[in-house]
Amino acid sequence: MYLKDLSQIYGASGNEENVKKYIKDVIKKTGKIDYIKEDHLGNLMCFKKGKIQKKTLVVMAHMDEVGLMITKIEEDGRLNVSPVGGVDPRVLIGKRVVVGEKNIDGVIPYKAIHLQKKDYKKKPDWDDIKVDIGAKDKKDAQSKVNLGDFCHFRTFFEEYENRYVGKAFDDRAGCSIMLETLEAMDDLPAYNIVFAFVVQEENGLRGSGAVLKHFHPDAALIIEGTTAGDNPELKRERWSTHLDNGPAMSYLQSMHVIDRRLFNAIVNTAESMKIPYQIKGRTVGGTDAGRLARSFYGVPGAVVSVPARYIHSPVSVMSKEDYNHTRKLVKELVMTGNYLKVLEV
Amino acid sequence: MKELIKKLVNVSSPSGHEKKVHQAILDELEGHIDGYKYDPIGNLIVWKNGTSNQPKKYLLDGHADEIGVVITNIDDKGFLRIDPVGGVNPLMLLGTIVQFESRTTKEIIRGICSFESETFEDVNKNFKNPNYDVMFVDIGANSREEALKHINIGQFGTYESQIIDQNGKLISKSMDDRIACAIVIQVLKELEECPNDVYGVFSVQEEVGIVGASVAGYDIMPDIAIAIDVTANSDTPKGYKRMDLNLGKGPAIKIKDKASISDRVVVDKLTQCAQANDIPYQYEVLLFGGTNAHGYQLTRSGIPSGTLSIVTRYVHSPHEMVDMGDVLNAVKLLKKAVEE
Repeated sequence: MYLKDLSQIYGASGNEENVKKYIKDVIKKTGKIDYIKEDHLGNLMCFKKGKIQKKTLVVMAHMDEVGLMITKIEEDGRLNVSPVGGVDPRVLIGKRVVVGEKNIDGVIPYKAIHLQKKDYKKKPDWDDIKVDIGAKDKKDAQSKVNLGDFCHFRTFFEEYENRYVGKAFDDRAGCSIMLETLEAMDDLPAYNIVFAFVVQEENGLRGSGAVLKHFHPDAALIIEGTTAGDNPELKRERWSTHLDNGPAMSYLQSMHVIDRRLFNAIVNTAESMKIPYQIKGRTVGGTDAGRLARSFYGVPGAVVSVPARYIHSPVSVMSKEDYNHTRKLVKELVMTGNYLKVLEV
Repeated sequence: MKELIKKLVNVSSPSGHEKKVHQAILDELEGHIDGYKYDPIGNLIVWKNGTSNQPKKYLLDGHADEIGVVITNIDDKGFLRIDPVGGVNPLMLLGTIVQFESRTTKEIIRGICSFESETFEDVNKNFKNPNYDVMFVDIGANSREEALKHINIGQFGTYESQIIDQNGKLISKSMDDRIACAIVIQVLKELEECPNDVYGVFSVQEEVGIVGASVAGYDIMPDIAIAIDVTANSDTPKGYKRMDLNLGKGPAIKIKDKASISDRVVVDKLTQCAQANDIPYQYEVLLFGGTNAHGYQLTRSGIPSGTLSIVTRYVHSPHEMVDMGDVLNAVKLLKKAVEE
């Protein structure tokens, strides 16, 4: 169970070092990897030889999470921030954060309701968001933090009866599933596998493309934590996914149509294993599959996601069942080679 | 060539589902090419070898996909919810037929697009500001189960329209970019004893964001890549007043759009070719949009790339109008260009 640790590590886009260190340690301990490679961007790639070595599948999750960055220190010691990845300023108010390498505690305040007239109806924008680290003034703040410091959500992982609750399930859920898949390997996979933990997905799919340079894979399987959006006030038809309905498969995403052969392979595998699954109801948002299809010679890919409510916020909620079903499905896809076989003409 | 165009626009092949149109293209090219292959993400690449000892390599690209819709949900009564595949203005769908292929019988399943209309206020609002949240598609099914017999969530569809041939114009869905596929096919058919290698790329997923052309040139690395695509017009009543693009004034040599600036080598070559052979042409400076030339320019260390456009009215509607003269002149121009 690595999800708890992974969820609690601070690692916004461009600051994945601690996530990577944790993952590397786990992987070394399993002893099931042939070799590890790191690149200049910060991607971590772990190669596992398959029974048949003619082909290579890259299984990918991104290590980064959304967060904030300090852009200015005010005279009174409060900090201005700018989003790293997609963050809605509304989810920040009243939350705890940590700032900088030393994880200085801070809070994100908002004007008390007593002092507001009609402006409480206004959507806060980035000008209204400040981080308060308790500094007396600018000089005091400067002694603790600096411009460009990352700011992370300070959220502790919890387990409810049927739920995991925590931050960064997008995409530490994917990282965790990959680690568990690797750990559970009791035999060689059908084909070569590269487990790629990549950087900077949230700020524009920047890390993943470079993985292709080193391994020349034939296909990619992206493991994601995706949006649920199953709000009670919305009609069922407008939900993206629903908690407890199983792993979610995408067919179209921002700027990219998922390879239909691979999409079908995932659906067929889920059906043959009697794993419940759902097909995503929305087509917004991109994943690294889109980047890989556009990089170098072009690698076809598809996505399996664990649905999570309230992603890109300080706290999200995931179904334990969905997580476990996704894990089973990924293991089957990786071990049997069903996924790569469909690409043979 | 009209028959060829009719054949291609009639195929329903939205982004990511180019197999059918690729097959139609291969059938047409039989006996006219020296080889073909599909690359890993599905681009169809065909080639004709040059006769010269040191042939230049030309790449002609027409994207095989067309815009469309995808089913995102099916309600209990059998109505579908959809999202666009590529740039489909919901306004265009109103009163339009969309088509899906039945996953069981393979017959065409047609759907009518309409909007929610609970109150008069809703009607007004939804018609003024159409969006996919309030739109549904009716395939005549009485229940979710009945709908599921033919279609499913995640299934792609396209417009359906009849091709119209009148006053020297051809009007149909998916002229963007089957007209380019037809042009590339015609060039390959007509080329004889060409000194240079000519590659035809029928690329995938242009409409969702230039996916196929970002990688199609990777192995070929041509000396020049020319994307052929449709472009906007300014010659309709109160058309774009800051641009000058006219049906019937010849193929348009693109100078720039929002995604690429054509390599000057390509612009000059096409211009000289047109002038030397008395082929009418116009220059195109498009204030928006982009073509596959963008993808080729970003391949490896960069391929010198440009675009030859067919000025088209009502782009991304079910009735895209091109001028047949422009099409024939584009074939002529490209043929001359790759022979040099």
